[in-house]
Amino acid sequence: MTSFRLEKGGLIDRAASLSFSFDGKGFTGHPGDTLASALIANGVHLMGRSFKYHRPRGVISAGSSEPNALVELREGARQEANTRATMIELYEGLVAKSQNRWPSLAFDVGAINSLAASMFVAGFYYKTFMWPKSFWEKIYEPLIRRAAGLGSAAKEADPDKYEKAYAHGDLLVIGSGPAGLMAALTAARLGARVILADEGTRLGGSLLFENEEIDGKSGLDWANSAIAELASMPNVTLMPRTTVFGWYDGNIFGAVERVNDHVLAPSPYEPRQRYWRVIAKRAVLAVGAEERPIVFGGNDVPGVMLASAMRAYANRYAAAAGKAAVVFTNNDSGYRTARDMRTHGVRVEVIVDSRADSRVEAGGVPVIRGRKIVDVKGGKGVAGIELDDHMHIGCDTVAMSGGWSPIVNLACHRGARPKWDATIAGFVPPDTGESFVAAGSAAGRMLLSECLADGAAKGGGKPSDAPKCRDETYAIKALWWVKESKTKAFVDYQNDVSVKDLPLAAREGYSDIELVKRYTTTGMATDQGKLGNVNAIAILAEATGKTIEQVGTTTFRPYYTPVAFGAFAGPFVGRHFQPTRKTPLSDWAEEQGAVFVETGLWMRSSWFPRADEDWLASATREVLATRSGVGICDVSTLGKIDVQGKDAGAFLDKLYCNTFSTLPVGKARYGLMLREDGIVFDDGTTSRLADDHFLMTTTTANAARVMSHMEFCHQALWPDLDVQYVSVTEQWGQMAVAGPRSRATLQKIVDGVTLNDETVPYMAAKELTILGGIPARLFRISFSGEHAYELAVPADYANMAARALMQAGEEFGIVPYGVEALSIMRIEKGHVAGGELNGTTTAADLGLGKMMSTKKDYIGRMMAMREGLTDANRQCVVGIRPFHRSDRLRSGSHFLKRGDAPSIANDQGYITSVAFSPMLGQWVGLALLANGRARIGEMVKIFDGLRGIHQYGVICEPMHFDRENARLHA
Amino acid sequence: MREGFHRISPLADVAIQGRFGADKGAPGVELSVRHPLSIVTVIARKDKAEALSAALAGLKGCVVQWAGADQYYAVSETYAEGALYRELREKLAGLASLSDQSHGRIVIRIAGPKARAVLAKGTPVDLHPNEFLRGKSAVTQMAHVGVHLTRTGEDAFELSVFRGFSENFWEWLTGQAEEFGYQVS
Repeated sequence: MTSFRLEKGGLIDRAASLSFSFDGKGFTGHPGDTLASALIANGVHLMGRSFKYHRPRGVISAGSSEPNALVELREGARQEANTRATMIELYEGLVAKSQNRWPSLAFDVGAINSLAASMFVAGFYYKTFMWPKSFWEKIYEPLIRRAAGLGSAAKEADPDKYEKAYAHGDLLVIGSGPAGLMAALTAARLGARVILADEGTRLGGSLLFENEEIDGKSGLDWANSAIAELASMPNVTLMPRTTVFGWYDGNIFGAVERVNDHVLAPSPYEPRQRYWRVIAKRAVLAVGAEERPIVFGGNDVPGVMLASAMRAYANRYAAAAGKAAVVFTNNDSGYRTARDMRTHGVRVEVIVDSRADSRVEAGGVPVIRGRKIVDVKGGKGVAGIELDDHMHIGCDTVAMSGGWSPIVNLACHRGARPKWDATIAGFVPPDTGESFVAAGSAAGRMLLSECLADGAAKGGGKPSDAPKCRDETYAIKALWWVKESKTKAFVDYQNDVSVKDLPLAAREGYSDIELVKRYTTTGMATDQGKLGNVNAIAILAEATGKTIEQVGTTTFRPYYTPVAFGAFAGPFVGRHFQPTRKTPLSDWAEEQGAVFVETGLWMRSSWFPRADEDWLASATREVLATRSGVGICDVSTLGKIDVQGKDAGAFLDKLYCNTFSTLPVGKARYGLMLREDGIVFDDGTTSRLADDHFLMTTTTANAARVMSHMEFCHQALWPDLDVQYVSVTEQWGQMAVAGPRSRATLQKIVDGVTLNDETVPYMAAKELTILGGIPARLFRISFSGEHAYELAVPADYANMAARALMQAGEEFGIVPYGVEALSIMRIEKGHVAGGELNGTTTAADLGLGKMMSTKKDYIGRMMAMREGLTDANRQCVVGIRPFHRSDRLRSGSHFLKRGDAPSIANDQGYITSVAFSPMLGQWVGLALLANGRARIGEMVKIFDGLRGIHQYGVICEPMHFDRENARLHA
Repeated sequence: MREGFHRISPLADVAIQGRFGADKGAPGVELSVRHPLSIVTVIARKDKAEALSAALAGLKGCVVQWAGADQYYAVSETYAEGALYRELREKLAGLASLSDQSHGRIVIRIAGPKARAVLAKGTPVDLHPNEFLRGKSAVTQMAHVGVHLTRTGEDAFELSVFRGFSENFWEWLTGQAEEFGYQVS
């Protein structure tokens, strides 16, 4: 194979060699190469197949706008589809495969689509595969996806780490070409905190590949000294390999740093990529301009590329695009390519300048003026070109320049539209205010001296701060497409949108640019029309008889370039998807063999199996042991809120539907809190520890919501109340000690108190010490229906206290019980919980209507009196038991009247909670039933549509067990 | 209190001493758990914010950290169980409501040349020394967990989180410090 590596020059390390493979074939390149430049240096231009027609495609650009050279990079779990060969830094051992071809890149069966091209015109998705409808999902779509898909993703989990981070600065400069470097230097010298980000491997932007002269040195030398100065300043952060992809409210920018994309595998300690949020007081958009292709026949043959790309490959990477080049341009900058290539010893056959009257220094290269290329000859490589006067010229590569489009994307991310500038024939950024300004060619300034001066000014200095430089001329006369071309001419390479598709869309009624985008897919996919959009707009303008300004652009949205999902997820994957919250008793529970269950973020002990018990056997045993002896359960997750201040009682009276200001010190009371709309919000016991000190508890699920509710109510509704509150949930490890032997067990660990109905009566809240001095709170409250307590100790002592209780209760057969047993016991007792407090029920629905005070105002009082909320026919809580004692009940099953068929109209209610009652030896449940309290004893049909179960049940009182509450006071 | 009853930190078996992560010479950060600690939430009573702030300025034996509008944490290493709470309740009677949080929050100290770089992976607060002065606190979120953050030195910070999140938070924090190498002491 002939080498296309130039003998000298380039920012590559020729002393070192890197081996890589493309489509299974081995090649070598040098550090400093991209995959694209290394392939070009090896004479490989064919890098992919196009989306619809499977046409052979080569590299078009030398940067992030690349639409064609998309490859599958790496193998196995690290395989990454649609990776731009122009952005992949070469590393030792790199493996890449071309995409969208079968069986091989050189011979692709799918290319037959070209012969059926008329079937694939604009809107083909909507036209060709419409009938019959049922074919779409099963046949057409899978077929199209297989034929048209670009690359395939890895199936395994991503083995690499990703991070997130924040950065702050006075000035963020995006882009490190002449304008960006000048802006950063100027601001940094004035003492500002500067962040300079650039998507490139190394900083310097266009100065890395253009022949410029600044301050008496080469552009590259000037850039290097500017970068060295910036690097030496403590107020400057340089961020190469960092793409700023979006601009958001608050002048916050999103960026992704490719920390380790340039190595085979990252160090285990480092991330592959880092997702940045950059918070900048001011920002300068100095991202430069993108060269546009010209739309002419065969403009997609591998070997046809942007003029700037061709000279970038030669100047920066020492890779020649061919042996004999033709330049096709409508502006002055194309001449630079001709001169540079000639300097590198590449023959340049001719410059074809579409302008009849241009006068630009061509460096000895012949110029044909006022002519256009109508066709490129060749299939997998360029063989020659044909001009509109039928002249044929032999060549193996074509450089094209359709002018320059300022890269306005970021400036438009918050909704502003770019403005058309006829002088440069391009859209320029909108005015987005002082905090984000464009500089240099991103602002439409096409001369180097203008870029430097603009950079200095936008960096906070004077334009005259910029160094002297040599300017190239720049002028353009727009040429969007070559109408004389008969062969396929592409506007959007990535989506295979040809010049004919756009007028067709307009003829079929899709003439708005946003509709044209959707109908033709122009400007979609990974490159988002970076190269093709302006041409498409111009072609559509002519087809619809409008000006380019009138047609306008499509909406610019983040992300500027594709961002990996891994970068968004950051470190929050798998077990770390959300934080885990452990209770102070988790060590003790683990020792006891607990099986844990996620409850919100908490890990709660769910049951404590012995030997090979399943959850039901374990929970049943735990209930029986508790009800016959004693059991302890971790209830630390209940929300605990300290409420203090002169008006603490008044505050609680307004929050809860029942009254707390009358609660004596040392006592606890059950409370019910309504939402503003009268529906029940939360419940729990509140204790009074001192005149001005209450301790509220909330349900585990609502702890944070109740706290927010309190803050809102206090700050917005009753700011005059002297009340303070703070969550103390985590301060305490709390355990329920329940069962007929609970008092005897506790007696063995409390200090200096004899526990009886006088010292700790029902609903007492007492501060004491245990185990010889550990501070504790003892509440005589019960959720299980047993004689029970809750014991709270400061969290660091919780495991110790639980172990001591286990020892103390050994003689009574003490067991640990989990939330399953807890739930069984509360259902046996008919206590409502999450299933019933489900955001649809009123206090009356829950059988707690009497708690609603008539002597005071409180949140939810007025709305709870609404007709619909007091309707006698509302669904309210009842008990349910299966008619056949051995039947199992299922939560979520619906009730029907005995003779009715299942329908929404016939629905009578549903089961909210079920449990196998160890005490009754059968399944029991709680349910919501229309006018339920009047229907105790009624037989109903139970329908479970999911499982296809029809059975009968009997409505009963919610309290299934110990209706006299004898055990509570035993 | 009976002998042998010590407070056990939830990070006792998690924050194991040693050198971890990348080896690039000296560790980028040093991590340690401040335990046992006395922490008391102090919230001004109505119309007492100024009087409280004056009273707090004169306190000895504990450090007072801002924790929200008219809210503070009083922190000390030298008090016995519950003693700081009891003492402050007396000294600040009528000025503030107090709650003992000594067991409810875990305070992790992070110090070293890369401390800011590690924290920047979690908090949106600008920790530049000109913006976030020594002794300043912020209530922020890191890794989806609420964090009370205080600068205690040029390169030293304290992170206070709810006890229940501490293990998870520690795992995240050490993961972020890996690239710089870290020492747990």
